[in-house]
Amino acid sequence: MAIRSESIRNDIFETYLSVKFELVKHLKRRRLPIVAALAVIVPLIFYVSVPDTAGEFAATVLSFLNILIIISAAMFAGDAVCGEFEKKTSLLLFPTPQRRSAIFAGKYVAALLATFLVVFLYYLVMTLQTTQLYGWGQIPTELAKSFLTALIYSAAAVSVVYFFSALLKRSISSTIVGFLFLMMILPIVSLILMRVNQEPWFIVSYSANLITDVLGVSGGVPTGPGEHFPGQNFTPDFGVGIAVMIAYAIVGLVSGMVIAGRKED
Amino acid sequence: MEYAIRTESLVKRYGKGFTALDGVSLLIKKGEVVGYVGPNGAGKTTTIKILTGLLKPSSGHAYVNGIDVTANPRKALQTMGALIEVPGMYDYLTPHEMLTYFGKVYRMGSNEIDRRIKETLQLVRLSEWEHKKIGTFSTGMQRRLTIAKAILHEPDNLVLDEPVLGLDPEGIRDVRGLIRQFRNEGMTVFLSSHLLGEVAEVCNTVVFLNKGKVVSSDSIESISSSLEHGVVDVKFLRPLSGEEIEELRAIELIRSVDVKDNTAQLGYDGKPESSVQILRRLVSSNLDVVSYHVEGSGLEDYYISVMSDEKGAN
Repeated sequence: MAIRSESIRNDIFETYLSVKFELVKHLKRRRLPIVAALAVIVPLIFYVSVPDTAGEFAATVLSFLNILIIISAAMFAGDAVCGEFEKKTSLLLFPTPQRRSAIFAGKYVAALLATFLVVFLYYLVMTLQTTQLYGWGQIPTELAKSFLTALIYSAAAVSVVYFFSALLKRSISSTIVGFLFLMMILPIVSLILMRVNQEPWFIVSYSANLITDVLGVSGGVPTGPGEHFPGQNFTPDFGVGIAVMIAYAIVGLVSGMVIAGRKED
Repeated sequence: MEYAIRTESLVKRYGKGFTALDGVSLLIKKGEVVGYVGPNGAGKTTTIKILTGLLKPSSGHAYVNGIDVTANPRKALQTMGALIEVPGMYDYLTPHEMLTYFGKVYRMGSNEIDRRIKETLQLVRLSEWEHKKIGTFSTGMQRRLTIAKAILHEPDNLVLDEPVLGLDPEGIRDVRGLIRQFRNEGMTVFLSSHLLGEVAEVCNTVVFLNKGKVVSSDSIESISSSLEHGVVDVKFLRPLSGEEIEELRAIELIRSVDVKDNTAQLGYDGKPESSVQILRRLVSSNLDVVSYHVEGSGLEDYYISVMSDEKGAN
């Protein structure tokens, strides 16, 4: 029992070290500052056309968030696993007294935290804008729900890209495949299903519409992959949508970890 | 006796067709510097990857200080430093940032990490580069940095896989100097290489591996003795007179004398004791000896004979 609890303590410490190291790497490679800068700058673009209500403004600004989350997931998780093997840094990292699963878990958590930070910054800037344009009292109460939904979608997106990073051999492939899968392939599948009058409830990019849908207003700019196409009547159910996002997050992470653990140098 | 490194019948198979290691058993005593020699594809790197927990053996066991690497890698690797092939580097980090992370992985305290970073970087002559980006380093500097990483936690055992691969002569000299230093400090070093000169220069023992099997294992000393031809080359200060040549022939241990100008090749029975006696007699005589060299084949010849024996056996 004592040995097991010591082993768990070691796993947690090693995961913490890995998270910290990964975040330092994201900073030093300037990925984190670049994506964080995007999160701050992009909402400012929406000053160009200011709608009548705070809810509409929030929905318009948040319509870009899907893309930013996918960019962020691709940047931070795209080379999380395969990058170490491809660049042979695995030969430095793995022959050390730490479990590989702890290293890979740390990489996932770091990608997740970095994406959460980007989402947080985006909402912060948008909230400040809304306050400045419409006053504090006009901020939609559903914004917190939208924020939590965005965080859950972030976990799903990071898990999907992480899975490709474990599956594929080259960082560039996993980054591009992960990005295109979330950005194009899933929305195209959604569109096809909707055209044949089937609700794509199991497609995570369709569930991502909840980020703006929970605000209860229309008027979002159709820039995101999960944005509604004209003439379609489907709207994701909140409970189902959240469950789908959580399922993608868990399945992507677990399968990614299993594949990563089996990779050999 | 607890060995620093021990393997028991290691087997590594890839799929159904290829056996990289076929029952490799090694015993490496503490403080030994062992060369692991064999042609490309012999299984040297596979052995090292199993020893460092990068690969799992298909069967057999690898132990570091008596701890099974596969069963308990965390504990086994705590006392081991490793440099495997040519590892990639985190180009965007500085040596200080990279080594700080690895220091924490080895559970070192902050003060200890700072002290060891200074010491190891000084040892590998990178002190002035502690806070510069690794991406700006030459290949030799990067290799020296990986050695600094391998010894950061003051391991008992060091595993080096082709440490001079791709280095220029200056880099090779630097790395050899470091290995000699580790040997003098009593560290156990397991050095995989296909450069026999390097092995002969720094190792006490050599293990020859071919097609996944250990084909020979012996100390450098006894390999060298076995390679002696029973001939010594002696150089004198001036050409020998007929009388002096006769004086040489009169030494009972000398079987043949072949003189050319101021050099002579003296045949004897090949025993080290006889060589010592001959040298003593020469020094005590009036002949002015400038140099005295026992002729022998190089490790290369031994390697070729061992590998060709193996070929014949196959």
